[in-house]
Amino acid sequence: MSKKKNGWGKKQRAVIVSGARTPFVKAFGKFLKLDSIDLADAAVKALLERTELPHEEVDSIVWGGVIFPSLAPNIAREVALDLRLPASVEGMTCTRACATGLQAVTLAAAAIERGEADVVIAGGSDSTSNAPLNLPQKAVHALAPLAFGKASSPSDYLSVLAQMMPITDVLPKMPKIAERTTGQVMGESAEEMAKRNGITRDAQDHFAERSHHRAAHAISTGRFDEEVVPVESPEGAVYTDNIVRGDTSVEKLSRLRPVFASDGTVTAGNASPLTDGAAAVLVMSEAKAKALGYTPLAAIRSWAYVGVDPADQLLIGPALAMPKALDRAGMELKDASVVDMHEAFAAQVLSVTKALGSKAFAEVRLGKGSAVGEIDEDRFNLYGGSISIGHPFAATGARMVTTMANELAQGQHETALLGICAAGGLGAAAVLEAVA
Amino acid sequence: MSDLLLDNEQARRWIKTLGLPIPVPERRARARGPYEERPLENKRVLVGGSGALQDVLAQTLTRAGANPVIIGDTDAVLKPFLGPGEAWARPPSHMASGDAPEGERVDAIVFDGTKLHSPADLHALYDVMHPWIRRLNRSGRVIVLGRPAGDAKKPARAATRAGLEGFVRSVAKEVGNVGATANSVFVEDGAEGRLEPVLRFLLSPRSAFVTCQPFHVTKLAKGESAPDIQPLEGKVALVTGAARGIGEATAELMAAEGAHVVCLDRPADDGPTSEVARRIGGSVLLVDITDEDAPERIAADLRERFGGVDIVVHNAGVTRDKTLGRMKSDAWDMAVDINLGAVVRITDALLSDDLVRKEGRIICLSSVSGIAGNRGQTNYSASKAGIVGFVRALAPQVAKKGITVNAIAPGFIETRLTTAMPVAIREGARRLSAVGQGGKPEDVGQMITFLSTPGASGLSGETVRVCGGALVGA
Repeated sequence: MSKKKNGWGKKQRAVIVSGARTPFVKAFGKFLKLDSIDLADAAVKALLERTELPHEEVDSIVWGGVIFPSLAPNIAREVALDLRLPASVEGMTCTRACATGLQAVTLAAAAIERGEADVVIAGGSDSTSNAPLNLPQKAVHALAPLAFGKASSPSDYLSVLAQMMPITDVLPKMPKIAERTTGQVMGESAEEMAKRNGITRDAQDHFAERSHHRAAHAISTGRFDEEVVPVESPEGAVYTDNIVRGDTSVEKLSRLRPVFASDGTVTAGNASPLTDGAAAVLVMSEAKAKALGYTPLAAIRSWAYVGVDPADQLLIGPALAMPKALDRAGMELKDASVVDMHEAFAAQVLSVTKALGSKAFAEVRLGKGSAVGEIDEDRFNLYGGSISIGHPFAATGARMVTTMANELAQGQHETALLGICAAGGLGAAAVLEAVA
Repeated sequence: MSDLLLDNEQARRWIKTLGLPIPVPERRARARGPYEERPLENKRVLVGGSGALQDVLAQTLTRAGANPVIIGDTDAVLKPFLGPGEAWARPPSHMASGDAPEGERVDAIVFDGTKLHSPADLHALYDVMHPWIRRLNRSGRVIVLGRPAGDAKKPARAATRAGLEGFVRSVAKEVGNVGATANSVFVEDGAEGRLEPVLRFLLSPRSAFVTCQPFHVTKLAKGESAPDIQPLEGKVALVTGAARGIGEATAELMAAEGAHVVCLDRPADDGPTSEVARRIGGSVLLVDITDEDAPERIAADLRERFGGVDIVVHNAGVTRDKTLGRMKSDAWDMAVDINLGAVVRITDALLSDDLVRKEGRIICLSSVSGIAGNRGQTNYSASKAGIVGFVRALAPQVAKKGITVNAIAPGFIETRLTTAMPVAIREGARRLSAVGQGGKPEDVGQMITFLSTPGASGLSGETVRVCGGALVGA
């Protein structure tokens, strides 16, 4: 493991021992009553049961969230307490928009590589259905005297009331996935990327169809049985992902209306839907895994995070992060046996693959002499992706790590490259390798 | 300080509603905040002509976030734009020459005239500009690029090159009423690499009051690569007359780009100077620049506190207006000494002490009055024309160290000096420019700030007018 030449060294290798996730369910559906912590509990509980891991072996939980339960934002610690893990199992919660799940896994890997920990549960969960509605700051500030008991006379109360006018200023605002700096809704960014990169509606719909067909095939052939665990919810038990449409077709998708611009190309069909779900990954040092008698599924070889200007191409990040992670792994794109990319929008995935295949992009943006490379169809997003499976923001990264680790464990592939785009102009990538 | 026709919404509305025969000046787009990575985000820039600068143009426009629209008949014109366009996902669009299609508008027109050799070739300029000039958006930009006339060996070629400048001066006056500007840039052979920052500046809203102006990009002064954002990070800038007006605006703008600004003004202006310095996190230097020991004190202060200086802005100036027959001797002396004598003495002191660092920038304030003359300003004009000569002569002498020396000639700028003018003359002077209004101190500050950046290494010995295309002196 000598990767010293590009400053990427480690003390011990971090390996993926197992992964488990809840079914991914359309928001405001069967997981309505389960918040982000409940979903996290379900995934971690299943992971512990499946691996029969002695609880006292767990050093820590690194969890990811994007929409936080406002009363207990450190989900990781809540999970440890909910599952009655030993009090010593500490927990931290991280956030990096859609790359959060991968961030949790690489934080765990980093801690293990540094020798800080040997057994870490990493993952992420999000419940769009339970996004808190916050009062505008104007209302919060006006109400502060009441909350702190400073208001005593009727005129104090009247003055509080007076500040609440006009009423529209103090009503809770609907949350939306908009960039804080640019105000642009993410779909609008995708729309812009489609336009600028010349990604047609037809190409997007074909990509969406492919995603659904592959995911449906994976489910019907039991490919996800290793990772998806049934979850009991007050609305009934859920056994499988419920967004995948095996019977969809380009013809059906082409009938959908564009959502973000009247002459646009991004539709509900070729974008990832709002989803509830959780995914957990068990990360260990290689030596510890061996000592506990586990056969690791895969090892974590390298990763990279990048930032691009959100006002430019918001979701192009993976086109920069993936080459960076490959460099750190001492690999070329063609060396990656399989590639798994988060599908925020078909337009975004196709923009990123186009950039990777562009010599001009490599020269100008990466300082390389030749294009990063083309990704063959038969090694790309083998089992669909976020468009078909769904995208609980903080869980997606851990889902991808799990699916790819399981893929490598089957022994036909050497390495897997992961790429994720995220709000704020972030990009993330990681390279997993088979454990020999 | 307030221009009724520009700042008073009521007045503007009434004039328009009543259809009064008063031209209401166009409000010009100005830049907010420090330099951006992509100042031309989503601007449509029409590119016409062809020549040696296509590659630079392609790179500049795409990196700055513009959407290039190429006009011309061959793929050869389009080719340089394909690579960078793909890298930044800004593929060039193409338009056939001839009439502009219905409804199409552009934010800027850039014409590469480096290939024009004979007067007949100038027709290419007409072919591109004629159909599009009235499709230029408000606060738009026209830029004509060429080779310097002086470098041409054949007189016919020199004539052609010089013709571009005249075209631009006139076109500037035609587009001024929509707040648009027109400038020409003459790029010396071998200085192509220094064009990009100049283009970024001229195409951006930062050059709102710079129009009718030829720029000469040369490889005279040594220069290194220039950062797009925070270009003055780590630089020390001395600004004289920083208490108010153009000096204050300049100090603020430079600080926003990362410079540490030493605000210099008279001891009597202690209050306002300190306030400016505090606001921008700079420092104060109270010196009367006409004092005999002023150059020495300034040099000593810069040496002790910063070990040198990167940027010197000679902004302090006075007017002592009287027609020559009535002018007292001390009025003459005062204007000439502050505006010119002190500039020469301080610059000499800093240079002889080797305090101006490598790739330093010296910027002196001249005036349109020094170029065109003004009744009652013989003293002022003499001093300000002196500055033009000073920078022209000094530039080649310090070029080896990468230091550039330039002059800025402001036209009518809304400052204390112009507020003191009689109302009728003031109102007249304001309207006597291509854009029909006065400039703001920040307009001049933007030009000074740009000349102080590493990216302005191609400009030296120049006198740049910031006058909105003044009727006189342009």
